[in-house]
This record gives sequence, C-alpha cells and structure tokens, in this order.
Amino acid sequence: MRAYFNDIPRTLLTMAYWAFVLYLLVPLTLMMAMSFKDANFVAFPIGDWTLRWYAQVMQDRQFLEACLYSIVIAAAATFSATVIGVWIAMLITKASSRWSGVLFALACLPAVVPGMISAISLRVFISTIDLPTGTAAIVLGHTVHAVPFVVVMALTRLRSMPPNLVDAARDLGADSIIAFFRVTLPYLGPAIVGGMIFCVLLSVDDFVRTFFLGGYRPTLPMLIFAKVQGGMSPEINAMATLVLIVTAAVGLYAEYMTRRSRSR
Amino acid sequence: MNSGLYQATLGAAVASQAGRLVLLAGVPLLWLVFMHIGPIYQMAKISFLVQYPLQAGQEASYTLANYAIFFSESIYFLPLIRSFIFSFAATAVTLIVVFPVAYYVAKVVRPDRRSKALLLLLVPFWAGELIRTFSVIMLLANRGALNVLLRELGFIDRPIPMLYTSFSLGFGLVYLICLYMLLPLYSSIEKIPKHLLDAAADLGAGPVTRFRRIVLPLSRDGIVSGCSLVFLTCIGVFATPMLLGGPTTVMFPETISGFFHGASDKWPVGASFALIMLVSALTTAGIFMRLVGGKATKLM
Repeated sequence: MRAYFNDIPRTLLTMAYWAFVLYLLVPLTLMMAMSFKDANFVAFPIGDWTLRWYAQVMQDRQFLEACLYSIVIAAAATFSATVIGVWIAMLITKASSRWSGVLFALACLPAVVPGMISAISLRVFISTIDLPTGTAAIVLGHTVHAVPFVVVMALTRLRSMPPNLVDAARDLGADSIIAFFRVTLPYLGPAIVGGMIFCVLLSVDDFVRTFFLGGYRPTLPMLIFAKVQGGMSPEINAMATLVLIVTAAVGLYAEYMTRRSRSR
Repeated sequence: MNSGLYQATLGAAVASQAGRLVLLAGVPLLWLVFMHIGPIYQMAKISFLVQYPLQAGQEASYTLANYAIFFSESIYFLPLIRSFIFSFAATAVTLIVVFPVAYYVAKVVRPDRRSKALLLLLVPFWAGELIRTFSVIMLLANRGALNVLLRELGFIDRPIPMLYTSFSLGFGLVYLICLYMLLPLYSSIEKIPKHLLDAAADLGAGPVTRFRRIVLPLSRDGIVSGCSLVFLTCIGVFATPMLLGGPTTVMFPETISGFFHGASDKWPVGASFALIMLVSALTTAGIFMRLVGGKATKLM
C-alpha cells in the first residue's frame, strides 16, 4: 500500500513531463501542418492538402535572398564572435583572480541586458561612430550578442584542461603564441565548434537587433515578421517550416558535438 | 611558424613582457570597453542631451527633462508597469510549470535516457523567436486549432477571441521563454545527491516534506538564475507583443521603439526611456537575487 502511494508523485511527474512536451510541440506541429493547406487563407480544419506552397516558396526570390543574407550575416558574426570570445576567455584565465571576476562580469554584460535595450543602445552607438545602418551594423550587433556565450563555453572547456599540456609545450621551446595555436586551440576545438553553431542559431534567429540596425534588405526573421503583419497565408507556414527544419537539424548536430566533446 | 617574418613580428612581441601583455589583453579589453560598455554609455549620454543631433560647433547641454516626460503621461509609464506585470506573471507561471518537468528529467528518468528526455524539450528551442510566436497564432486564432476543436466538440457556438488579448500574449511569452527556465533548474536539481532524498524517505519524510526541506533549498541557485534570466529576457521581448498582443497590451519596448522611427531628434527621450527600463529591470533582478539567492549566486 505504501509503495503504491509513493508512486503517485512519480506518475504525476511523468504526466507533467509529457503534457509539457505536448505543449511545446503542438503549436509547431499545427504550424507545419498548415503549410500543406490547399487554400489561400489560414484556418482549421485543413481540408485538402497540397505541396504548392513549397513550390512557390522555393521560387520566391525574396525568400531565397533573405536566406542568403541571413547566412552571410551569421557567418561573419560567428567568425568574429568566436575569435573575440576565445580571446577574452584566454585573458580571463590568465588574469589574477580579482581581475578575472570583473572581466567575466563585463564579458557577460550583453547577455543580461534585455534584447530591446541592447538593440537601442547599439543603434545609438553606431550613429555616434558614424556607421550607417546595414550589413556591417547588423554583424556588429550580432557579434556583441554572441560573444558572452562563446566566452562561457570556452571557459568551461579551458577549466578542464590540464595545465601541464602548455607547460610541456613551453619546455620544448614553444613561445606562448605557438603554444596557444598548437596546444590550447586544438584542445578547445569541440567547444569552439559547439559555440559557433550556437552563434549561427542566435544570429539567424535574432529579430530585434536586426530590426533596429538593418537597412532595407530583410533577413529571414524580418521577412517573416513583415509577412505575418501583412496578412496570413500558408506560404508563411511553408517558409517557417523550412527554416525550422534546417535550424533544428543544425541544433541537433550542435548538441551531438558538445555531447561528444564532454564525454571525451 | 618559424619563418623570419614571424621572428621579426609576433615572435619579437612575445619575447618581451609588454608585448605579451598587449597581445593577450589588447583586443579583448578594447572590445569589452568599446562594445560592451560603449553602447550603454552612449545611450546614457544621449538621454541627458537637450538637443540631438548636435549642430556643428554646438556645445552639448544636459538636462533631466527627457526623464520627466516619462512620468508626465500615462501612455508612457503604463506600458512599463504592464511590461513588469507581464514579465513577473510569465516568470512565475514558467517556474511553476517547468519545475516538475526539470525535476522529472533530472531525478526520475533513468540516467542513460536523461539526455534524450532533455533533447525532446530542446527541439522547439531551435525554432527561433518569430517562428514560435507565429505558431502560437495557429493555435489561438479565431479559426485556429483550439477554437475549431472546441466548436467541433460542441462547447462553443462562436469562436472565443483569444488572439490579440492578454491571454495570447501571456501564453506566447511563456511558450517563448520556458526553456530558459528549464536548463538552470535542471542543472541545479541534477546536483542534489540522491542519498539525501533516500535518507529523508527512510526517516519517514513524505514527498511534500522532502520537496520542501531538501529539493527546494538545494535548487535555489537554479531557481534564482532561471527566474532572473526569464524575467530579463521577457521584459526585452519586442516582436512577440507586437504579433500576439492587442491595442490594450502595448509593452514598453514598443513605446521606446516609437521614438526611434523616423528622424533622430526624439532619440534623447527614447534613450532615457530605455535607460529607465534597463535600470529598473536590472534592479528588480538584483533585489530578487539578493533576497532569494544569498551571496554566491551568479547569473550564468
């Protein structure tokens, strides 16, 4: 009898978990299902199914250009955020304990500033340095947003690194730069790859910074936002479904990479 | 790397103490000062300006008038209050909804299945802010899945207007941010030693007592960082209230953004509003962390 009562919390927790999974997946599933609706408006029930929205999206120049633009921005922002983030992480590990705390807090600052404020402050900032809104400004904004995550990921990995690896390299005659590129950087490899994929997802997903820093060329989220405000059509669902599938695949791969790096 | 060029440039720099310091600290310090502090500093500076942009040769003069505007009209301070209420509510709901889920994954699921159980919860996270917001519309619209389902089941005759209300906005916010709560909670609950729970159970503590005396105190770090993260994210969300909210649910980010459309002469007012929001949000999060979390809590 007692064992039976002890199982009640367990059952309730299991139910809570599956209810939550349902809550997370149902809206996205509905969104994907609607992309197959054979009508010009968005409404349930779906009725006839079609693939024509996908055919239309694949030929939509605006969509393809927005994809390309998002990818270019993500690549540039990821590259710069990775270089700067790893550099900051190296400085934090080498700094004395008093300074490393200050530097770490400073490095994490963009992650705790609410997105809207971050976007506004960057908009003001680029105008004070006479940088016009557009691609360069977006890349800068996305880089600022991504750096804290790279720093945290690189620091986590650096903490597990045996210090004698670098000492051995130094004993064998490598100066600190060569030791960094030949020993520390390869050791950081998996964390860096995981961090880079995370940066790409952050950048491709970002709306508010792009909205305030961008010019007239839309990135993917801006295009979807404009279309949703302009009126519902299953075409948007098809676009969103394609983006979702690609980003989820990239995310799964990143998860796999970081898991492998942790187990090694 | 042993070429003459290297010896003459980087190699020489590394050989001296000052050179090593510049190589290690130069770029990171410049970046941190210019890009992490710089924007906030510029925004704060502009928020005190009487006039912006400055004409050539004009002296900058400073004032508090931009801040006074915020308190003068209810269409300015009400959205901030509304933003706080929605963010508090969304944080509380998220904590209550996510805690059992995080506990289940961390303690009930067998360790070898744990990562799969977690992964299932992470999938929607990769969909991104706009797509998740958009998918909520599919569920809650007048001809969305929920209304159609209720009508088919015979509960309602005409659709309940759920979209563009406080309900759809709250629902959307929780849907958007719940995973920021999940990860900190999960990692702190996972660290609770199993033998503490077993010992308490052996000594006769029921599930409620075990939760109150062991799980809750020991997952405090996760609760504090999860709540702060969710609150700070929630208050800065811009697109979701514009897509899911209605005319009565204008949030403060939308109010601020109004000053940044068009010409830049309204920027000082917008900047002062943004600063008011930043300071009040960070202060709230800070007070919460101090009250609940004790000293050793960090956000990340």
